[in-house]
Amino acid sequence: MSHSPSIVHRQKKREQERLEPGTVLSWTTLSHPPARFGHRPRTIALIELESGAKVLAPLIATHPHIGQKVHPRMRLSHITEETLRVYEVAYEALVEVSVPVLDFPGYILALTGPSGVGKTTVSKLLTQMFGHVTVNVPILTTRAAKQGDDGEYVYTTPEEFERLKRAGSIVAATVIPSSSEDRQYGYRGADIEAIWKEGKLPVVITEMHLLSGLAEHYSRRSILSFGLLPPGKSKRAKLSQLLHRLRTRGRETEEHIKDRLKNAERDLDFFTQRSDLFDHIMVNEDLPSVIAAMKEKVPGLSKA
Amino acid sequence: MERDIFLVGSGLTPFGEHWNKSLKDLMDDAIEAALKNSGLNALDIDFVIVANMLAEVTNDQAHLGSIASSLLPHHPPALRIESACGSGALALHTACAFLESKRAETVLVIGAEKMTDASVDTVSQALMGAADSELDTPSGLTFPGIFGLIANRYMHEFGLTREQLSIVSAVHHRNGKENPFAQFRQEISPETVSKSALVADPLRLLDCSPISDGAAACILSTLHRSAFRLAASQVKSDSVSIAERPTITSFSASRDAMAAALREAELERSDISALETHDCFSIAAVINMEDLGFANQGEGIRIYEDLYAGDTPLFVNMSGGLKACGHPVAATGIKQIIDLSKFLKKAKAAHGLAHNFGGACASCGIHILENLDA
Repeated sequence: MSHSPSIVHRQKKREQERLEPGTVLSWTTLSHPPARFGHRPRTIALIELESGAKVLAPLIATHPHIGQKVHPRMRLSHITEETLRVYEVAYEALVEVSVPVLDFPGYILALTGPSGVGKTTVSKLLTQMFGHVTVNVPILTTRAAKQGDDGEYVYTTPEEFERLKRAGSIVAATVIPSSSEDRQYGYRGADIEAIWKEGKLPVVITEMHLLSGLAEHYSRRSILSFGLLPPGKSKRAKLSQLLHRLRTRGRETEEHIKDRLKNAERDLDFFTQRSDLFDHIMVNEDLPSVIAAMKEKVPGLSKA
Repeated sequence: MERDIFLVGSGLTPFGEHWNKSLKDLMDDAIEAALKNSGLNALDIDFVIVANMLAEVTNDQAHLGSIASSLLPHHPPALRIESACGSGALALHTACAFLESKRAETVLVIGAEKMTDASVDTVSQALMGAADSELDTPSGLTFPGIFGLIANRYMHEFGLTREQLSIVSAVHHRNGKENPFAQFRQEISPETVSKSALVADPLRLLDCSPISDGAAACILSTLHRSAFRLAASQVKSDSVSIAERPTITSFSASRDAMAAALREAELERSDISALETHDCFSIAAVINMEDLGFANQGEGIRIYEDLYAGDTPLFVNMSGGLKACGHPVAATGIKQIIDLSKFLKKAKAAHGLAHNFGGACASCGIHILENLDA
């Protein structure tokens, strides 16, 4: 009963809150864990997260000890009789050896998808899990800051934006029309190059025009491009999924949501028209599998 | 207590593996023994309370109040109490409430559990019902695991060693040797405990109370009198998940229930000479001594070192405790009161205390029994 679909569903909702580093308060190794976890001994820890919350979760450590610093890691726990794949958050002890230098020789990780598909959530998870190797490229925008923005934007005036664009400092730019104003968005080449210099991987959470702009500027081959689509068989089903998500996240007014949905419709067509711009298309049905797929497909991340 | 409540009779089945008896058979045996011991007639019972935790899972049986009632000729009204391993104490507490409110004058309280009908994995998972099913269970924890976490933390905070901890089970087994109702009646050395199989690091097999079958019944009355009067009945609670507590090396429900029980009985801690505590795991026994106020925090093991050396006036778990007697979950709380009455009678001692808890002490019941003949 402990893995019925509804229980797994609630478990999944909690998982995200648990994706924080923490400290081991205590640990134990069960010689014979419950049968569904297999027959290998299982180490479980009581962990105090950075937020102060405490969780009980599996611990991955060769030498567990109290006071150990641990990081969250999503992994497949087991597959139920109903073939439901149950993921769990395990905590991994930071390996106390010199960190191998990862090299990301001049490529960009791009994540493209319509509004509401879950790009921000995926990117937050990426930062939490691989923050030591990935850096989000800030988006330069002329729109005003608003509640719900989470440090992903650098704000500027339309004049300054124009100036930078003409000077060639902006490597990809787009205008997103809305019923109230036209907003400019773009990436600065300097931001991306600085990340490369640090030996890290620039990540862009982006949309179609910016993606094709980057592909033109840096060449298509330097972008490892992931498309993220909402679940649903038809375009209408996909759009209704998006509408639902936009409404439930409650960041925008109904008017803005309508704008976004209009743009999303165009975005969805773009996935078929410009399939050449994508290396992998993923359906955001559940977060853990999206992350797992990205980790597997990005060279460097699988080692990180 | 609002009224004088007397323990007028009690009965036990031996604890252990009863392959040829059902849950109902065990209840029947305990009821018969209790009635015989009390000298009362079955018709004197006007209410029945059954303590049980697992029957739905281990015996495919719910509706235990009526099952117990059907064992009496006049089918008195009955109900069932569940509070995990603390079900027994909670049932006694409920009986007191009925007696104090004059809803009943003579109440039969039965604790019964038949665990060996199910596989160890099933029982182990069912026992996890005493933890938080959404915060604790998904990690793969079992109860030995929860107490393994507690033990590890306790050792970290207070420097308790593995060798010291092994004394606890050695003391309980030595006490249980003389108890004809105990599941294990052989002595074990601390070294044997330290060498037994690892169950949930640092806890080993002989740190853990076993899976057992058994039933215990006692008859409490405001109408009939005996030498044993209940001086206090207190119940306290705590967060079920250990992840929601400020500390895991002390149980606030035990501390709170103890303070309330002493107040109710108008006694000092030093008036209590005999204790039956809830030693589901050896580490719990150590923490209990501290929470009940008989040792400072971090020094509970000293009482056990003294007990092992025979160097203390305090009598702790003279029955053998949960470790040697066995732990048929809900029967334990009732059994403790019965064992306490036997000990007080034999030792001519005045006050004894039974401490019974559920889960990792998310519910705790404390009863103080007074021997009027002492």
